Amino acid sequence: MSDSNSTVRWTLNGTEVENEAGMTIMEAAKVHGVDIPQFCYHPGLSIAGNCRICMVESNRSPKPVISCSERIAEGLEIKTQSEVAVDARNSVMEFQLINHPLDCPVCDKAGECVLQDHSYEHGPDRSRFVEDKNIRHTKELGPTIDIWGNRCIVCTRCVRFCDEISGTGELCVVERGDRSVVDVFPGVPIDNSLAGNTVDICPVGALISSDFKYEARVWNMDKTSSVCGGCSRGCNVEVETLDGFVKRLTPRENLDVNDWWMCDHGRYGWRHLYADSRLESAQHDGQAVSPTGTSGALHQLLSSSSSTAFLVDPYMTCEELHLVRSIANSLGGSTIAGWLPAAGTEETFPGGFKISADKHPNRKGAEHVLGSDLFTASADQLKSALSNGSIDTLVAFVGGDGFEGAGGEWNDLISKAGKRIVFATQQGSWCDGADLVVPATAPLEKEGVWVNEDDRAQRTRSCRSLTSNHFPSELVVLQELQVHMDLRNRPLSAAGIFRELSETSDAFSGHSHSGLGDSGSPLSQRPAAMSSEGGHS
Amino acid sequence: MTVTETLAFSDEAMKKYEWLLSRYPTRKAALLPTLRIAESEFGELGVPQMKYVADLMEIPPATVFGVVTFYTHYRRAGVGKYHLQVCSTLSCALRGSGDVVSRVTERLGIGVGETSECGLFTLSKVECLGSCDTAPVIQCNDDYHEGLSLEDVDALIEQLRQEAGKGGA
Amino acid sequence: MSFRKIFTPYIHEDKCHSLKFYQSKGGYEQARKALNDWQPDDLIETVKAANLRGRGGAGFPTGVKWGFVPKQVDKPKYLAVNADESEPGTFKDRLIMEKNPHLLLEGIIICCKAVGIHHAYIYIRGEFVFGANRLQNAIDRAYSEGILGENCLGSDFKLDVTVHRGAGAYICGEETGMLTSIEGDRGQPKLKPPFPAVEGLFGCPTVVNNVETLANLPYILEIGAEEYRKIGPENSPGPKLFCVSGHVEKPGVFELPMGVSLRTLIDEHAGGVWKGRKLKAVIPGGSSAHVLTADECDVAMDIESLAAAGTMLGSAGVIVMDETTCMVDALLNIMRFYHHESCGQCTPCREGTGWLEKIAHRIAVGGGRIEDLDLVTEVCDRMVGKTICALADAAAFPAESIVKKFREDFVAAIENGGSPAWVKRHPANTGGAAAHV
Repeated sequence: MSDSNSTVRWTLNGTEVENEAGMTIMEAAKVHGVDIPQFCYHPGLSIAGNCRICMVESNRSPKPVISCSERIAEGLEIKTQSEVAVDARNSVMEFQLINHPLDCPVCDKAGECVLQDHSYEHGPDRSRFVEDKNIRHTKELGPTIDIWGNRCIVCTRCVRFCDEISGTGELCVVERGDRSVVDVFPGVPIDNSLAGNTVDICPVGALISSDFKYEARVWNMDKTSSVCGGCSRGCNVEVETLDGFVKRLTPRENLDVNDWWMCDHGRYGWRHLYADSRLESAQHDGQAVSPTGTSGALHQLLSSSSSTAFLVDPYMTCEELHLVRSIANSLGGSTIAGWLPAAGTEETFPGGFKISADKHPNRKGAEHVLGSDLFTASADQLKSALSNGSIDTLVAFVGGDGFEGAGGEWNDLISKAGKRIVFATQQGSWCDGADLVVPATAPLEKEGVWVNEDDRAQRTRSCRSLTSNHFPSELVVLQELQVHMDLRNRPLSAAGIFRELSETSDAFSGHSHSGLGDSGSPLSQRPAAMSSEGGHS
Repeated sequence: MTVTETLAFSDEAMKKYEWLLSRYPTRKAALLPTLRIAESEFGELGVPQMKYVADLMEIPPATVFGVVTFYTHYRRAGVGKYHLQVCSTLSCALRGSGDVVSRVTERLGIGVGETSECGLFTLSKVECLGSCDTAPVIQCNDDYHEGLSLEDVDALIEQLRQEAGKGGA
Repeated sequence: MSFRKIFTPYIHEDKCHSLKFYQSKGGYEQARKALNDWQPDDLIETVKAANLRGRGGAGFPTGVKWGFVPKQVDKPKYLAVNADESEPGTFKDRLIMEKNPHLLLEGIIICCKAVGIHHAYIYIRGEFVFGANRLQNAIDRAYSEGILGENCLGSDFKLDVTVHRGAGAYICGEETGMLTSIEGDRGQPKLKPPFPAVEGLFGCPTVVNNVETLANLPYILEIGAEEYRKIGPENSPGPKLFCVSGHVEKPGVFELPMGVSLRTLIDEHAGGVWKGRKLKAVIPGGSSAHVLTADECDVAMDIESLAAAGTMLGSAGVIVMDETTCMVDALLNIMRFYHHESCGQCTPCREGTGWLEKIAHRIAVGGGRIEDLDLVTEVCDRMVGKTICALADAAAFPAESIVKKFREDFVAAIENGGSPAWVKRHPANTGGAAAHV
């Protein structure tokens, strides 16, 4: 009747609607604001059709049909609230719960559990099941993942993930019937760079992250939509904190960047925020400087400098880099160069996910703000200048996780400057003997824009961890310095600085924080084009 | 795992395996019959044997594990030399399979799911063997023993014991 | 025309399974004609005209099924022969494979010629080791005699046949579960659509036919569709293998025209209820069928008549229960089977089969409550029609019908502290267990 390019007219709960041909009932219904419940369905995985919770009534079938796999068709009439549909959902819920331990009070999934949510909406308020419940294994499946088998509803999302997305195939369902449960081959644990995603997509509390286990009730945590700084992929993440402490990172859906996934390096790579060596207060000549005095001390050092160089890092936001550029320009005769951390290994996966070898989130952005030779020719020039001793004052930014400083060669060169100001996240040789040490924000603590390897600008946001609340961010310190230098009347927000940047830089022209929204935008895609597409969801 | 390293198909088994691969358009399709080869080559499908098959066929060991545990007729690790599988589904039950199980239990001193101390016998209750007209039935390893009276059960056990004795087991 | 047996006329002869014997009785003549003289479409039309209906359980018209396979495709097409025979009470295909394997192979050749298939897989249940060996020997002979292979029976038609052994899973008798199992996976049924005829084995168009169904084909070609349709009722004609087991004097496989009376089958062919006892209950089509009471057994054994009687012909596995049978124990036995065999994929089946077994068990051992009888029915209602395959239905049908039709057995077990067999074995516990719940 209708070819794949056309639309299909069908009836949803008595109302005639239109959708693109080829959509499933579930997808199409969602467009019209009808959310059909799901356990086994996941948009990033193949369709299993096993949980049966998405059954709806169809005029084309004597039995209810599953809306995750059945496709819309001309003349199809679907009811999601009819007696047949409601009974089908209620049936599935009752069956799901009979052997489920109902141990929500001690389950880490509680509060974000699909089973809990659906039970509330579609489940019975009491059980007719008076038999003994089945017992299945509770054990470690890998270094970061445990399974509570009794909670498993055998939806196979995790198994499909390891087969289709990571391509590592460590998980399987063993046994059959109501004895079946997810397992690994004895001696072959689940241990791949994407393993943590299986916990996220588990619709119940069967797969549990051993890192997050018993750490927090999910409803007590504050969430910040941010971007992972682990590599130049820029995975969109949610940072969850409890009382100012980061508890976990989870991926945020972005089909242009990371789909629904993130890697374990990024997921578990936030402990540096609370490292013993973390810098939390500024120091001038070995004396602590108050947070409000930092910019003054900085100004004092810079105003007596005969030649100043800035060494920036690729974790700095475009806003921070813009401020550095403006300060350097006003000082006159100063130079700017950047350092890069050592390259890692690129990892690609059958599902299309990629971990970049470049372990820096904003190299592209830095090059847009400060020039394409920032990390190459400019860096070489600064190296020789430092070796010659021709730099009077060096302002070095040593961010990231900060444990390696700016890398072996730079760490030695830094100390050859006459005077040295170091913004650092961690204590280390790069701080030793510095004239002024300023605590720096780490990735996840920054407020601003990063540009990933695909030239996509995305907003990273500060999770306001306990540590970063102890000192003003570079964004603030650098602006206060500008106030001291009479370059600015008062500090602005990151959005305000970004506006200044967009007004002075072709690359960022037309973009704004609000325009970038939660999911970012390719720099080449100007807002005019964006608005014609209706902006961001 | 040193056991895995020492496991290997015989030349004949390997030839059979290669032939199997030629019968299917995908390698994985040969998994069920290859597990049968492994079963007869190694005597059972325990962890090292499953790992061997997984490595041989270049499929994840978890996949093999899932498959082996899905089916009930593979010889899993720890089963005795003679696996007495008593059909317990309706037609056999109607004609006395319960008494057959009791008789085996009495004679061998093992319960369902147990293996005799001598390692010769394992007793299992299994579902319909498709031999309902000759109920009750025991499948011992590959062979059906049909239309069993309790005396036939005794005789079967005796015969298997003698067979084992002759084999020098 | 008097009824002529086609599957079992020679099964008592010594070498009945050999190629030589088969050929001495005119074997492979129809396949030869099909390969050399028939056009594929004519073969399909003839099978449609004969109204051959699948003998595996669902009774779908075979020719129509073949017609669903696309004629022009870039992919290979496959035949998957369902020889899993795992429905409790069924043992007919085993007889064909062990005693008359070449009849099956001849049927396979005819089907493959009709649909344009060049590779057939015979999925035989893992327990049938003897049958698998016999089948393999027959295939080896057929290859060496040029019946199978590059030029089947001297034609330019190529056909390979591969025996694929199962490994112990009832669900692999379900057509898509079987395909998954051939593909080397856990034998879990696949979502439909797509249907196997379009996207089946290895993603290619696939015909799935039962052993007995295929074994009909040479005979249909031999006598023609019109004559074939005269055997038994027009809507489900043909010779048929009926399996009778349980409490009868002479259990066995009986080849009779479709539509024979169930009572005649039991009383005359199977020698009647054993030990002079009275009939209590009959499952007419494998344990998945609704149970019939003794009073309901005057019914013709064909697809329509049994459907009208509220049950089904299914695999024609007749299980007879005499007056001493406690239907609580029977229910428990059947529910244990389905609980054991549920693949575990769909929620209603995975959880429902286990629940039903637990309820049946509790009633049998003296923990039953009268409300459990309604609960069984309600659990069944919640299982039926809500899963990928029909296993949930197969468990629910006997459960709801046994509880409904033999309610007095259940009430007695609830009141007496368990089924008679349990009470006999545990006299001291009687009452205690009942009081417990």
